Amino acid sequence: MADSGKLLSQLADRISYLIDIKGSSAWINLKELQDRVQGLRHSLFEIKEADLYNEIDRIEDRVSFMEDRVAKKLSPAEIVNIVRSVQRFTLIDILENVYDSYTELGGEGECNLDPAVVVARATISRRVKNKLYSHQVMVIGHEKGRGEEYRNGGCAKPWGNDKALRYMMVAETEGIPIHFFIFTPGSYPVEDYPGAAQQIARNIYVMARLRVPMVSFISEGGSGGAEAIGLSDFRLMGSRGYYSVISPEGAAAIEGKIREGEKVPKDLIEHCATQLKITASDNLKLGTIDRIVEEPPLGAKREDYAFFRRLRYEMLRATDEIVLKTKNFRAFRAYALRRQTEEGKNVPEDFDVAISWNLTELEIDRLLELRSKKYREMGKDFFLKKSKGLAQRFRRAKDLASRGYYELRYGLLRPHHRNVQKVIEEVSSEGSVFFKKVTEPVRAAYDFVFPQPKRPAKVVSSEGSDRRSIFAEEWEPYLSPLANEDRTVTCPNASKYGCMDLWVPDLYGEFCGVCPNCGHHFPLEYQWYLKNLFDKDSVREFNNHIASSNPLGFRGFDARLRRDIRRTGRMSSIITFDARVFGIRLVVAMLFSNFRGGTVGAAEGEKFVRACDIAKTTRRPFLAYVHTTGGIRIQEGTLGVVQMPKCTLAVREYIESGGLYIVVYDNNSYAGPVASFLGCSLYQFGIRSSRIGFAGPRVIRETTGRNVPPGYHSAKNALRRGHIQGIWDRREFRKNLYDALMTMGGHNLYYR
Amino acid sequence: MGINLNDLLRHYRSHIFEDYQVETPHTGVISYKVQDGQTVEGPSGEWLQRPGTLLYIIEREKNVKKMYTSWNGQVTGIRPDLEGHFVEAGEVVLSIRHRLDKNEIIDRILTQVLNILRAPQQARYFLSSDISAKLGKHPECRIAIEPGDEIVIMSLMKRDTAISYKEASGVLYKVYFRSGDIVEQGSPLLGICPSDRLQYVQEVVQRIRTDWENM
Amino acid sequence: MSKERVLIANRGEIAIRIMQACKDLGLDYVVVYTKEDESSLHVRLAQERGGFKRAYRISNYKDPNEIFSVADQAKCTAIHPGYGFFSENFGFARRATMRTRPLTFIGPRWEVIRDLGSKINTKRLAKKLKVPVIPGSDELIYNEMEAEEVAEELFFLQKEQGVQHPSVLVKASAGGGGMGIEEVSRLDVFRMVYRKIQNYAKRQFGDEGVLIEQCLRDYQHLEVQLLCSSHDEVVHFGTRNCTIQSSGRQKRLEVAPGFDPAVCEYPFDAEGVLDQIVRYSVRMARHVGYDSIGTWEWIVCRDGSPYLMEVNTRIQVENEISARISRIKGGTEPTNLIKEQIKVAFGDRLGFTQKDVSFEGTSIELRIVAEDTNRGFAPWCGTITRFDYPEEPWARLYSHVPRDIPYKIPTEYDPNLALAIIWGQDSEQAKERARQFQKGTVIEGKGAKGEDIITNLDYLYDRINDILQF
Repeated sequence: MADSGKLLSQLADRISYLIDIKGSSAWINLKELQDRVQGLRHSLFEIKEADLYNEIDRIEDRVSFMEDRVAKKLSPAEIVNIVRSVQRFTLIDILENVYDSYTELGGEGECNLDPAVVVARATISRRVKNKLYSHQVMVIGHEKGRGEEYRNGGCAKPWGNDKALRYMMVAETEGIPIHFFIFTPGSYPVEDYPGAAQQIARNIYVMARLRVPMVSFISEGGSGGAEAIGLSDFRLMGSRGYYSVISPEGAAAIEGKIREGEKVPKDLIEHCATQLKITASDNLKLGTIDRIVEEPPLGAKREDYAFFRRLRYEMLRATDEIVLKTKNFRAFRAYALRRQTEEGKNVPEDFDVAISWNLTELEIDRLLELRSKKYREMGKDFFLKKSKGLAQRFRRAKDLASRGYYELRYGLLRPHHRNVQKVIEEVSSEGSVFFKKVTEPVRAAYDFVFPQPKRPAKVVSSEGSDRRSIFAEEWEPYLSPLANEDRTVTCPNASKYGCMDLWVPDLYGEFCGVCPNCGHHFPLEYQWYLKNLFDKDSVREFNNHIASSNPLGFRGFDARLRRDIRRTGRMSSIITFDARVFGIRLVVAMLFSNFRGGTVGAAEGEKFVRACDIAKTTRRPFLAYVHTTGGIRIQEGTLGVVQMPKCTLAVREYIESGGLYIVVYDNNSYAGPVASFLGCSLYQFGIRSSRIGFAGPRVIRETTGRNVPPGYHSAKNALRRGHIQGIWDRREFRKNLYDALMTMGGHNLYYR
Repeated sequence: MGINLNDLLRHYRSHIFEDYQVETPHTGVISYKVQDGQTVEGPSGEWLQRPGTLLYIIEREKNVKKMYTSWNGQVTGIRPDLEGHFVEAGEVVLSIRHRLDKNEIIDRILTQVLNILRAPQQARYFLSSDISAKLGKHPECRIAIEPGDEIVIMSLMKRDTAISYKEASGVLYKVYFRSGDIVEQGSPLLGICPSDRLQYVQEVVQRIRTDWENM
Repeated sequence: MSKERVLIANRGEIAIRIMQACKDLGLDYVVVYTKEDESSLHVRLAQERGGFKRAYRISNYKDPNEIFSVADQAKCTAIHPGYGFFSENFGFARRATMRTRPLTFIGPRWEVIRDLGSKINTKRLAKKLKVPVIPGSDELIYNEMEAEEVAEELFFLQKEQGVQHPSVLVKASAGGGGMGIEEVSRLDVFRMVYRKIQNYAKRQFGDEGVLIEQCLRDYQHLEVQLLCSSHDEVVHFGTRNCTIQSSGRQKRLEVAPGFDPAVCEYPFDAEGVLDQIVRYSVRMARHVGYDSIGTWEWIVCRDGSPYLMEVNTRIQVENEISARISRIKGGTEPTNLIKEQIKVAFGDRLGFTQKDVSFEGTSIELRIVAEDTNRGFAPWCGTITRFDYPEEPWARLYSHVPRDIPYKIPTEYDPNLALAIIWGQDSEQAKERARQFQKGTVIEGKGAKGEDIITNLDYLYDRINDILQF
């Protein structure tokens, strides 16, 4: 006979789990059942044993019946509740049950740089024909703990993510695969060094080209926090997990324009959870994950050993597949086919083959190539392509042609180029007239093939008239529409610095939106930069036909999108173009505020990636000017989130090919983009009075309970924390950009 | 060095209110947002980031400015004749009857205990860059002052003159003016507590704290 | 002229002179003042005039919003900026004319103020018109090596000319009044100074452009007074000599005409040089379409070569000495240039040509300032208890200091007390009368610590001898 106390406590757990899922005990008669169990536990020894067991059986029946009912119709919001239940398995359970042995690195419970991030060296094994083969892996993941406060619910602090990064690099050194386990509602949004956004960006940047196979498993994938350890070659997701751009509550607060402190209506949260497409099957459809790991209908709990067995199998299999794909395609196909026939069956007891996870250098290169391809494909089907006209085809033809030209010029001829250069330098350094005569014609022919990059002559440039003033069009600059009003405004620093009220036509005209007294920068529309930052008439936009859409069918979003398209005359929040600054040609991606607050979705990501690639093929410096970005567009759900790794990957490839990537933040730059493809730039600058960060003051307050002082996200503080490399005055933007291009680009400007 | 603390406390108890006049910062058309007798609150929040009660608005050159109170207290002396009219700069539009709190009483009594540096002339005064940098980083820190240290800059007729401290060395205890303000001749600028009197001053502060509650 | 109402956006004696000019022209006027200036005579005079509210208290003379706010409230139609403050601020002039309730800015068109307000622009324009300018760069220089090259050449040129201690000036593009200018007498320190000025310019004006010029020594500072109208009329009112300046390059004694070969020896043809700078000034004024009163400032070296320094697009403090020695159409009354400035601002024609302007005698201006000339012209402040000066038909004194009550000099502004304008049949007589006037002037007062007032009266007396001397 089973111990009745134990049975009752199990029942109590099952009931409270149902209450967790339903969000309240008011559903049907959960409350009553709970009371009944409680009552039995109190009067355990006063009731006759037979009656007791009868009662337990009856309750058991009820509970099972209700579990079936709940499982049959699980709403996305209920899945979120499953994920957040204290009864759900955590990383420690995985380490205990999926891996054979493990050693936690850099942490012991609370004694830990960040207890929310757990790293372990572990072994995972498989049986092949009764022989045991084991593999070494690095396990990195979030630990939600069992309600301990120090685990912080799996919210990694910036230094926790830094710890994760360090061990990723250890794995790279050792050449062992990494298994990531994502159990996070989101990152802890503080700016303290190394900074939430900047650290995530660094992680993604490194993961983009980490030279080991990586598999990630998502249980709770909370946006940016998930991406910090989420970029991998194979993405698994628990069938009762969720992966989302934002918590349903957060989305509801934004959608419902709920003010701070007010309660967010439950049905709005339900609605958002549904709209955001956060479940495993949704994500599989969107292509943001590769495979689902089946859990029990109500989700796996701590003691679901069958699930852990399955997870072990899936982790092995995913790693195998990554490895095999790098070896040769036929081997992989054979492997995959064999597995496919087994699909749907229970997890097999043993594997047919033992596959070594060691890769050769060549295979690693192939691994990176596949990774790049994988992410570049993500979200590709989820933006619109408008007006496929002649112009576009022409553009394509031109792209192809120019690629050929540039490849010829920089690819094939490059080694030769260097040699010739060297010879000529050696010869001409002799400096004698005799040598000069000999070398002159040679040089002339050489210059014809390799024209010198055109740079304004630095010394005695009496014709350098475009340097006469910072704004070349000295007295008649572009007139901001803001300037058309006869009124004055007060500088926000007036009480501190005694600034006088500013006449609007002066402020937005000649003063370039800058208070002449204290230097405060008032926001200016993005068109101002198009006109004032670049050489006159040098801006040539491209990929204008790529348009934002509503890929998730988010209710009510179509109308908002249409409105912004009508209002701005643009199809997305990013403008990509070629331009010149004092004669230097560069490629620019500009995120601007008027279109959905400069948020990034599939279309924006694609345009960004293409701009990167154009900069790469044309060997030009690449500037990301962020007029404003409000983060990832929540209405595109995880399709938006995957733009973070996608764009970072493209940027990384551009930088590694020798490109110079400069990011300049203006106005407000927050969240996902900063935590990825912007924050990863080696050179980031802030325009004065701009704000840069991960999450705004309200989100920080709500998630950490901490009040942040005014100016917390200011460019000055970002500089102080080391997040940016400098602060630029808008009036000197053009000149600073030129200087930056010249000094950081150096002699071989943007290509090594 | 003795002061009759009881007398002083009694004095402040009977003069517990201070009237602050609110002047228009510049010309413009004003419109009141408070009434006589209304209670107003000064700035609040951890960093005083939330402004106080809105007193009135003033519009000049199509710029409507909100003017908030810097003190808590009661509004008096509203001038209904000004409502909706153009007023000149520096016009007194109302007063705030402010009840001194314990810390303000302490500040006032300390002027009789500390070495007070007073403004030698009516002029603009600035803290020396050294001191203002230190205070900027740690507003609560006690900066050691030695005789001969240049502690205040007097800006008069567009010329800056450094004023140095002449009395016994001590610590900067209190700054009575805002850097860049015009200060009347004879008004206190800084309060410096000589090292040997530090304990005494702390005792005085402690006594005021307790006595003020108990009296 | 219809009933115009002029807002006088200035203080001190110039406010009073403009008030007087308006009164003479039959125009209404309104003045502004700050709390510190409450007892200034310009306030009292306006208040006493009555009729309507004529004096408005503002927070700051430098706040354009205050000026426009009062202008609208007092129903003004025009603004006279005087000198200093907004007189050469093209933004202010532009705002006056472009706002929804436009006001006539009594001064040149704002475009002219803007173009001639930039030293480099003026220099470029002068070069184009073949008007001589100080040797040096005629563009802003941003590049160190380029700058060094220019400096090197200037040193070389000076050596060639046999200049004893050659040196160059490094100037911030938008500097002025002695700020952002530094002299370099050795090429090896040039780079350091250049960087210093470049940083200063960047900090101060947001543009790190720098000018490099030969540092001229041993020169006279001359001015050409022009009056132009919007009907393409250009008339000059001769020249002035403003060489006598305080250590801070502040003028203290001025005299018209600029040279007087009758009493002084000049190592060059003085009349010829004066003609030359007048011709050049008129040529530039015509070219830019100058349409108000203005002054062309010149440097004349010992060899008699003139160089254009800058153009002041405003009425100047010392305008009256030129007015005092000129007659229009042989009239008996001296000219009043402020009145003429106001008239042309409202679009009037001059009503006379150059042929109608004749000159008579010499006029000297003494600027009486409370300052310690023995201690670097340090300003003095305190209370004036007595201020007496001789009443003479050949002398005029302008002051905002009330004589019937003690007057406390406001510490916020320069302690200028008065301007004395002396006239004489010839230079000798003018100088003699200036001395006489100085002797008869009594200023008494006490400082904050009870010390006696310090003024520059003795300094002025001593320098009267130096007038017109090269």
